[in-house]
Amino acid sequence: MLSHPRDPALLPRLGWTLVLLALLAPTFVYTHFNPALLLQPETLGTLGHFVAGFFPPAHEAGFLLEVARETITTLAVATAGLGMALFLGAPLAFVTTRALDLPMSAEARRHPLARGLRPILRGLMIGLRGVPEIVWALLFVRAVGLGSLPAVLALGLAYGGMLGKVYAEILESQPDGPTRALTAQGAGRIQVFFWGLWPQALPELVSYTVYRWECAIRASAVMGFVGAGGIGQLLDTSIKMMNGSEVSTLLLVFLLLVIGTEAISALARRGLESRYGSGVLAAAVATAIGASLAWLWPAWAAAGADLKALWPFAASFFPPEMGAAIWGDLARGTLETLAISILGTTLAFAGGGLLALPASGRFGMPAKAATRLLLNALRGVPDLLWAALAVLALGLGPAAGVLALALHTTGVLGRLFAETLENAPPLPEQALLAAGAGRAAAFGHGVLPEVIVQWLAYTLYRWENNIRIAAVLGIVGAGGLGQQLYLALSLFQEKTAATVIVAMLLLSWLAEETSRHTRLRLAH
Amino acid sequence: MSFAKKTFAAAVMLAAASVALAEEAVLRVSAIPDEAPTELQRKFAPLGSYLEKELGMKVQFVPVTDYAAVVTALTSDKIDMAWLGGFTYVQAKERGKVVPLVQREEDTKFTSKYIGSVAAGINSLKDLKGKSFAFGSASSTSGHLMPRYFLQKQNIKPETYFKNVAYSGAHDATVAWVASGKVEGGALNASVWDKLVEAGKVDATKVKVIGTTPTFYDYNWTVRGSLDAKLQKKITAAFLKLDPKNPEHQQILELQRATRFVGTKPENYKGIEAAAREAGLLK
Repeated sequence: MLSHPRDPALLPRLGWTLVLLALLAPTFVYTHFNPALLLQPETLGTLGHFVAGFFPPAHEAGFLLEVARETITTLAVATAGLGMALFLGAPLAFVTTRALDLPMSAEARRHPLARGLRPILRGLMIGLRGVPEIVWALLFVRAVGLGSLPAVLALGLAYGGMLGKVYAEILESQPDGPTRALTAQGAGRIQVFFWGLWPQALPELVSYTVYRWECAIRASAVMGFVGAGGIGQLLDTSIKMMNGSEVSTLLLVFLLLVIGTEAISALARRGLESRYGSGVLAAAVATAIGASLAWLWPAWAAAGADLKALWPFAASFFPPEMGAAIWGDLARGTLETLAISILGTTLAFAGGGLLALPASGRFGMPAKAATRLLLNALRGVPDLLWAALAVLALGLGPAAGVLALALHTTGVLGRLFAETLENAPPLPEQALLAAGAGRAAAFGHGVLPEVIVQWLAYTLYRWENNIRIAAVLGIVGAGGLGQQLYLALSLFQEKTAATVIVAMLLLSWLAEETSRHTRLRLAH
Repeated sequence: MSFAKKTFAAAVMLAAASVALAEEAVLRVSAIPDEAPTELQRKFAPLGSYLEKELGMKVQFVPVTDYAAVVTALTSDKIDMAWLGGFTYVQAKERGKVVPLVQREEDTKFTSKYIGSVAAGINSLKDLKGKSFAFGSASSTSGHLMPRYFLQKQNIKPETYFKNVAYSGAHDATVAWVASGKVEGGALNASVWDKLVEAGKVDATKVKVIGTTPTFYDYNWTVRGSLDAKLQKKITAAFLKLDPKNPEHQQILELQRATRFVGTKPENYKGIEAAAREAGLLK
């Protein structure tokens, strides 16, 4: 029991929790988040009606055919997008990685390539991956029209920036013996790369690429919310029309897709271990990218998308709007975004902590299996999809964003928290129990101190991520800066959109810095 | 690899074939998605086959899920004709050469309705102060621009007057949001409101009309400026010929919610353009 008389730390801990809750009060005001609304009879009526429609899932032949077609498109978009990202990211990594100039002399550093070009390319990569893929998709939909082409371009650019950075870091983390030896022999940059780095870095490079492909599939499945094709487009329509049976079919297909992808990527990772595995893998990747392009091409050709339209479109964003009228809107959007991310993450911290107890096996195996399943489902549905569903429950506005972030992040944190619990040394708790402490006190003094720093660090990481997501949830009607971006782009006010994007980038950079500093302080 | 090459080659041929098909005389028509996509298709079907007969060419309806995408498609010649709102017409005119041909007689004196939630006790715009409010799509004339413009005429700036301003995306969605209590008030196209009431899709115990705007010019059928002038004339003639006394025509007019079609001209939309500039939606 919490009120165990012999728990000396109970009062101060409760006190601090209350102080933190008081600090959260403004976020409730800015997001209009009111959990009681979820239990109102009207809400329950709407939701009940909607969910009751889930059974049986829609299965008319025509609809299923459309679902099948759009599912293939979703897969093809993810694969082609990743192909484009590879094309962009690999050369960027090769040029910008420090792994290849480690042993080089001052002469190499004076090379104009190293001095001038690299900072520019690094800046380019930060820009590419700093803008969320759904924002890229929204921009490309405006530039080249609706369809799957904008989705591929969006994934290609955003993931290209990520691959470039992470590949460079993977190369830098390899032992530098072979590189030094080869450089000493007078080998050039390309030779050093292929003989000194490539063989040892390959498994890690492949593993990360495969992971990105899984992410790309989830991202590609929600691109339809901005009109960029795939099953997201069907989901968007079905949710707007409140057609429960179609939504349940689509959710099922989506979950199957995610499970299928995980199986394929496990296979790919294993493939590397055998002798001919990497050859087979390379051939499979090339075929998959070719087949994806072949599947998508007819629609692109029919739409007659001309990429020349991109340049005047890009130019229309400059200079960003700086007029007095925009600052009030921007400040409101920024505060809303901040409040959504803070409240959503805090709720997820509480939810994740509670669910981690059964998920770590503290209440027996059946409870563990059931909670893990729940956590996987919460995590498996992307935030944007949660937001579209939350809008049904809480209405358009920031409150839906809070609920969406809280649900998705609970899934993520619950699993991580459970793992931390399982890895915590069991002895302190056992000793307390043996000494006659109650279960709650034993947990609070034997386990919590072991895990809390790790839990907070995970939560801060997630918050960093969530602030980026909170900034885009408005695209499906869940408040924040995203709504302003969507409005500006709908009204052909590109210069205003440019300012909103800059605000998003600044906010995400500030969050990163704040979180990094706090984590450093936590560690000490 | 060779499999990939083969499929790629096949795809290129397929694409070439589809381009060749597109060069046959086809009129590509679209509409702003101011109602559910299925409803738009249902409304267009008989009008489409009527136009096919009158023009002697294939008419293809291209469904588009986004207002701004219809404007872009028309001004970049990807579609030939579109059903636009007054505001989307002005946006298209700003971005390229387009010609408005005809409109429904009703569009010359269009209005919007302000609606409120019965449960929240909303009887006037005053009751909505500090409450949440839903427009339709941000690009909508009767669901956003004009209701916003006429609010501003009464010194109501939505972003500060209401607690929360949301965009439902479509007129029927706005009614659904107010009826379910998710927002306390909203604004929509008067014609869609009447249609929903007639079809019994509005629960009078949940939603009520709390105001109507003054009249303005709204929807029209617009073609891209580069479309053959003779074809433009034929299209106009086909629309003007629709006669409510002819039962077959009557069905088309009824689905379009029109008594008849009349010609229209760019000057009709000067008022909309001025309102858009004043409301800050056009820069």
